[in-house]
Amino acid sequence: MYLQSRLDFLLRVQNADGGWGYFPGKQSWMEPTVYALLALQGHTEGRAATERAWRLLLSWQTGDGSWRPGVSVREGTWVTALGVLAACGFNSLDGPGTRGIGWLMDMSGQESRWTVRVMSYFHFLGTDVNVNHRGWPWRPGTSAWIEPTALTVVALKKSLERRPDRSVAARAREGEELIFSRRDHDGGWNSGNPNVLKYDLPSYPETTALALLGLQGRPREELASPLDTARRFYTGCKSSLAKAWLTIAFRCYGESLPDSGVQDFSGNPDILLCAIQSLGVDGGNYHLLKTGSIA
Amino acid sequence: MKMKRRDFIPLAGTAAVACYMAVRKQPEEKISDGPAGKSAVSIQKCKAYSEDLTGKILVGIQSCGLAVKGKRVLLKPNLVEFDSSTVINTDAAVIAAALEVFQKLGAAEVRIGEGPGHRRDTYDLAEDAAYRKTIPRFDELFVDLNRDDVSPVRGFAEEAEMYFPHAALGADLIVSLAKMKTHHWAGATLSMKNLFGLVPGAVYGWPKNKLHYIGIPQSVVALSRQFRNTFAIVDGVIGMEGNGPIQGTPKSSGVLVMGRDLVAVDATCCRIMGIDPEKVEYLKLAADLGHLSPGRIEQRGETVRSVQTDFQLIENFRDLRLLNENRG
Repeated sequence: MYLQSRLDFLLRVQNADGGWGYFPGKQSWMEPTVYALLALQGHTEGRAATERAWRLLLSWQTGDGSWRPGVSVREGTWVTALGVLAACGFNSLDGPGTRGIGWLMDMSGQESRWTVRVMSYFHFLGTDVNVNHRGWPWRPGTSAWIEPTALTVVALKKSLERRPDRSVAARAREGEELIFSRRDHDGGWNSGNPNVLKYDLPSYPETTALALLGLQGRPREELASPLDTARRFYTGCKSSLAKAWLTIAFRCYGESLPDSGVQDFSGNPDILLCAIQSLGVDGGNYHLLKTGSIA
Repeated sequence: MKMKRRDFIPLAGTAAVACYMAVRKQPEEKISDGPAGKSAVSIQKCKAYSEDLTGKILVGIQSCGLAVKGKRVLLKPNLVEFDSSTVINTDAAVIAAALEVFQKLGAAEVRIGEGPGHRRDTYDLAEDAAYRKTIPRFDELFVDLNRDDVSPVRGFAEEAEMYFPHAALGADLIVSLAKMKTHHWAGATLSMKNLFGLVPGAVYGWPKNKLHYIGIPQSVVALSRQFRNTFAIVDGVIGMEGNGPIQGTPKSSGVLVMGRDLVAVDATCCRIMGIDPEKVEYLKLAADLGHLSPGRIEQRGETVRSVQTDFQLIENFRDLRLLNENRG
């Protein structure tokens, strides 16, 4: 029932171009479109909608293999990881998926340049962030952060399940190391900066959930403490988005939810939230974000 | 990071350049005098959010000669994160009062918009900050600027193009409802830095790291150049000192500071906080957009001296402290 009401909502608010906006009646964006597509995947009533969505996504892939974040934005960004995830879900790893992976393989945060490593060595950065691992930025020409790195790691691992590749595996492993290196003092993750000017910064529930998704398949003993932090977040936080991501993370780890886990969705027009919740509720497609370890 | 022999030469070179840059005497910078004329800035004493905020904001708007009738107004609060132990965000009562005043003054439309730079769940933040229960019809009036429809503009800080939300591009007047806070990168965050929330996360991420690469002071100024039809209302009833903008401690300064010239408003706020605005990088860069010098700012309401209260500064910004001879 909870899943069906959400899927019905998604089908009702799909834009004429085949995409979804963040809110009904607004421009189509890659992020809500991919999560809606994943949520509807495999549900008979969603077949036509997902095919239209996939056609739109194909039209948004740029010549360099990256995906644009929205209908009115020209340059490709982190959402390329979502494009690869959608391609995996749509059995289109060859062609669009491969070109997307190619772009991701060439992309890394600016802090991994040697000049920044030198500045870090001499403590000129004002932060203790570890710059030795290559992760992924929100946009080309900027630093790596947890959310784009975690989602890219998930997308690359998904591609590896279908098509093993040593260089892709190596980058995914490096992404995992970056996630580990940026863990906050309180056990979770924030956007990707554990401290600024020697002051520790707190972690966020939604980013902690995404980091855990990126770290799937790592030895359980490495993850015991982050999972405890996630459990504390789940019972303590009110954010529907954070709870939706934490639910997906717990399901991917095969963990029971700390409480009933049913989230209210009455009357909320937030399409991204609805799509992410749809992936996590009973019968949802969370398995499309589930990965094992890197071979 | 382990040092290898082959790393030594570039490291040594970089270190030498860094040392040279550090000891080289910087030429005295000439700060622009700003546009012709003077700017009015209103300081209203306000010890608590339970006082008549509507009346005080109305006086501030009128004393600065702002025309509102028929305009599409976007109220832009500072909604960053929530921590019940401190005061990160513009108080909900100030936003509610501003909403009422702009509606009463005959604005064609008043909306509230924000694009937080750290957290994805804007509505949850608004809930925590008591915006949804305090501000009438909040959900109906609110636009999540991180996820609004966007269009590109040209000429932003030497970028080929920069995307902004339609709610901001379509407004006739953007009201920066900022919080009076210290800031660990910019020194202070006031009405101009508050415009960072106009940059959409859906395009630039969480955080909007592109602005850091452009440079924080440069981005602050570029946003003020991009959005010229603005008015500032700075919530200094309770501000934040120390390690702002998130982890600082509450500081009762008991003021609302308002004006059409955001440079003059921020310079006035700095003087109230015991910070020398002529040492704040973004204000120096913005000096052609408005007035920094006290001689070019017409103070309405209270004087700076009557409300001045030094905000604690973290070590990196101790040299911003206003010297006694410049305290007005």
